[in-house]
Amino acid sequence: MLDGMTQQELAERVGVTRQTILSIEGGRYNPSVGLALLLADVFGVPVDQLFEIERGERHD
Amino acid sequence: MTENEKRGSLPGLTGLIAGAFVILGVFLWMFVSKGLLFVAGLGAFGPGILRELGWLGDQDEFQRQAAHRAGYHAFLVGGLATVLAYSALEWWEETLPVSSEWVLLILIVLWLTCLFSALLGYWGARKTAARVLLVFGSFWALFVLANVVTEATTNRDFGAAAIGALMGTLIVGPFFILAWAAGRWPRTAGFLLLAVSVFFLFFFAPHGAFQWSTVLVRDSLLMVPLAASGLALLREAPEDAPA
Repeated sequence: MLDGMTQQELAERVGVTRQTILSIEGGRYNPSVGLALLLADVFGVPVDQLFEIERGERHD
Repeated sequence: MTENEKRGSLPGLTGLIAGAFVILGVFLWMFVSKGLLFVAGLGAFGPGILRELGWLGDQDEFQRQAAHRAGYHAFLVGGLATVLAYSALEWWEETLPVSSEWVLLILIVLWLTCLFSALLGYWGARKTAARVLLVFGSFWALFVLANVVTEATTNRDFGAAAIGALMGTLIVGPFFILAWAAGRWPRTAGFLLLAVSVFFLFFFAPHGAFQWSTVLVRDSLLMVPLAASGLALLREAPEDAPA
């Protein structure tokens, strides 16, 4: 559960699939700026509280 | 079903329609006319073309990224396969048959590369391998069931039916076991998958001259999906979280 939401509910609120949410959480996918802002808006927090950059991380 | 559920449920309505076109096209190619393969092409490539034209919006950004990367991979592998086929035909023109099957082979290489790359990019190695194995296991199970039913009903040979069911379980069972193992022990499952694909290489070995049916069926549709899944699993670190 994420802030009272299931992954499916979160996915529906931001317009993506549950697999996409899983992949973001698992670090397999870096969302677009638009999607990152949407996620931050859903949780009511700044974007940099949801995502952080790891030094030396490759940006695919 | 919500729009998002439709988008996330693979295959969605688009996938089902496209899959029906592919199956129909292959059926028509096999039993009616080889020229009707274009029906399968509509299913294989139609949805992607509609998406790129902006007429179909059934994918989210992650699915689109996986699809675009898969297209690039298919371009690279398909291009390499094309030049290799051309060179082979030029060098061994005396022994290799010149036929439309070469086009079919390159098409299968293109399509399998694109499909696998998209699935691996979207689902990850463990989920992709597990689902490939479930599909293989299900198809083998159908063949076994058909054989058992035939023996029991048509031939009234219940002994043969029982033996067939037992043998079938021994063949089908490992696919489902490997599908379960792929999520928990990816590297072990990967090694076993590679071993199974090598087994298929020799089990369906051609007797005699070059045969297109061997290349197209054994190598493309049996070996390649299993070997590709096995290689993908070998790259998984054991401590990764399940896909």
